[in-house]
Amino acid sequence: MPITTTRRRLLAGAAATLALPSFARAQGVKPRLTAISQWSAGSDGAAITALGKKFEEKGGIWQHSPVPGFTTEMMNKLRAQIIAGDPPACSQLKGPEIAAWSKIAPTVNLDSVVAAAGYEKVVAPDLAKLHKPGGKWIALPLQIYSTNMLFLSKRAMDKAKADKVPVTWADFNELAEKMKSGGVTYPIANGGTRPDDGQKFEASLAGISPTAYRAAIMNLDKKALEGPEVKAAFAQTRKIADWMDPNVGAQPFATNAKRFIDGDMGMMIQGGWAQGVLRNAGFKLEDFIITPGPSDNSKPVFLLNADAFIFWERKEPDLQAGQALMAKLVMDPAIQTMYSQITGSIPVRTDVDLSGEGWSDGQRRTAAALKDAVANNQAVLSLAHNMAQENGLTAAMIDVLTEYVKNKTIKPEQAATRLAEAVEGAR
Amino acid sequence: MRDRSFTPSRMLIYLVVVLVAVAWLVPLIVVILNSLRSNEEIAQTSMIGWPLKWAFGNYLTAWSDFCVAQTCAGIRPYMLNSALVTIPATIFSTLLGAVAGYAISLWRFRGDQWIYGIVTLGIFLPQQMRLLPWTIVLRDTGLMNTLTGLVAIHTIQGLSFTVLFCRNYYVSIPQELIRAARIDGAGFFRIFWRIILPLSPPILVVTIIWQFTHIWNEFLYGVTFTTGQQQPVTAALIALSAAVADIPQHGVQSAAVMIAALPTLLIYLIGGKYFVRGLTAGAVK
Repeated sequence: MPITTTRRRLLAGAAATLALPSFARAQGVKPRLTAISQWSAGSDGAAITALGKKFEEKGGIWQHSPVPGFTTEMMNKLRAQIIAGDPPACSQLKGPEIAAWSKIAPTVNLDSVVAAAGYEKVVAPDLAKLHKPGGKWIALPLQIYSTNMLFLSKRAMDKAKADKVPVTWADFNELAEKMKSGGVTYPIANGGTRPDDGQKFEASLAGISPTAYRAAIMNLDKKALEGPEVKAAFAQTRKIADWMDPNVGAQPFATNAKRFIDGDMGMMIQGGWAQGVLRNAGFKLEDFIITPGPSDNSKPVFLLNADAFIFWERKEPDLQAGQALMAKLVMDPAIQTMYSQITGSIPVRTDVDLSGEGWSDGQRRTAAALKDAVANNQAVLSLAHNMAQENGLTAAMIDVLTEYVKNKTIKPEQAATRLAEAVEGAR
Repeated sequence: MRDRSFTPSRMLIYLVVVLVAVAWLVPLIVVILNSLRSNEEIAQTSMIGWPLKWAFGNYLTAWSDFCVAQTCAGIRPYMLNSALVTIPATIFSTLLGAVAGYAISLWRFRGDQWIYGIVTLGIFLPQQMRLLPWTIVLRDTGLMNTLTGLVAIHTIQGLSFTVLFCRNYYVSIPQELIRAARIDGAGFFRIFWRIILPLSPPILVVTIIWQFTHIWNEFLYGVTFTTGQQQPVTAALIALSAAVADIPQHGVQSAAVMIAALPTLLIYLIGGKYFVRGLTAGAVK
């Protein structure tokens, strides 16, 4: 497998360089794009359809086939199309899966298009790395979410007689205690899904030490995995778990939205998407505050979750022209603005101005946090949302985290050992 | 004569039956109620609750309005796709299963038990394991992304169950019946047509219910081997509910679930009384 892989990759590279000049050659044909993604309904569906409209406005033929469901379904479909010798011209894929899948079938080398757009300068470095395995751009990030934004319920803050937004984990813990004694039933509003549990841990560790997060979770360094920061993060996660409603089952966090707004629950550690969920459920912006997740060094820590498109090699001139057009559109600040304003994410480009109309305060704060975090080298990749590791490893690690959140007899030290063992076993 | 409904043991039985029925029906009731509540109402109060304002519009949205990517036609077209796959695949797999079950149970030949064992082995193979082999078959037959391909898959895979059901049923038919017919000059298919098939309604109803429900509710192959507008209704339902970073559309979702469940519900209501009878036939032999 490794031998054929390298040969294939070489071939892919060679073919991709051949393909590039044909972008220019293909001027005469009408650009066409076959794309698959899991974005079918709701704001995700609306956003990609809007992108398709722009593609058509530029004279292209947009052929998007959504694969409803979760990433697994989309990957099954992608695998089937690749095996059938008919990969889509471009497909949604994210995180380390981009590198993994690029070994299965030849991809398009986007280096010259990216260079022409000056894109690399405006993308967070850790993020850029994910989209250029082997040093060549083969995929383009489209939008960013932070998974560790802190949402505070105004009514719960009133109950706690608190007006200061917590910055460090100590502040956070103090506020939670105040809420508890002020009559807030559960200081943390949570869901019971696997990513939800994972987010609690990753927010804890990255907030305690982004350096330790990078070493332990992103680089899987054994010493860091069993280090004091990871144990402290597990201890913090336990505190959070003790403040959560244990009867949540496996429901999404949105189930608790009402109790959060009413001040029966106090805080949410969620992705920026929670803002859209709250707004669309009919709650007002005055009912809650959005701020970056706790960080012990007081500078924002940003847990990155980014969606992207990977481009698969096709021989047809119209598809190649479509890929060139799509690449241009995805990197375009105006398109990223349009996309993020529909989904509630923030643009990948760090140079987009979010002061104008159409952006919410939450989005502006998220974007500012990203800028700060990148400047301080505190933007790291989310584990819970499949950005830090490939699917198999992520699943093994989340198994440990979700059990820890739910089973309160496990000690932080034991959990750290289990996490290290899970990594060892899955590697 | 004493009124039997008042004996303590009867009462106990009724109590247990009613409790079990309630436990089973609660989720359904929640879905029915939510199908009549607006998304906003559900989000602002609770998942479980009585409709404050009846939102019958959910059904209209679910049936013909909500969007999957750039197509806003509700689940209607996807219902049709599912019917186009489910009906032929159910008929073919049931008929083939009946013929095969008849051959294995009443026309003993060398290795018949082996063939029976191998065919029914399919029951134990997980779907995911068969995904790649089917991909290759569909690629080589040119049936990738066609409904015909799905019909073929479900017909062939359905044989594991239909052969099992039919064989177990036919095994209780006396061999003498077949011998008598052969003496009268009837051949394999004439016996099947004239003697076996008229005896078969109970088991055919069982296999039809079984196949219909499974194929209608199938998602993995439906979503992997079709594209865009040909996707089955399960894909459309998932499209409504899978968006993690999005507003849960519980009202419309519930209405769509109710509509999508109707065909299988009807099949059960029509054929239900045969179900247990057919399933247990031959079980004691």
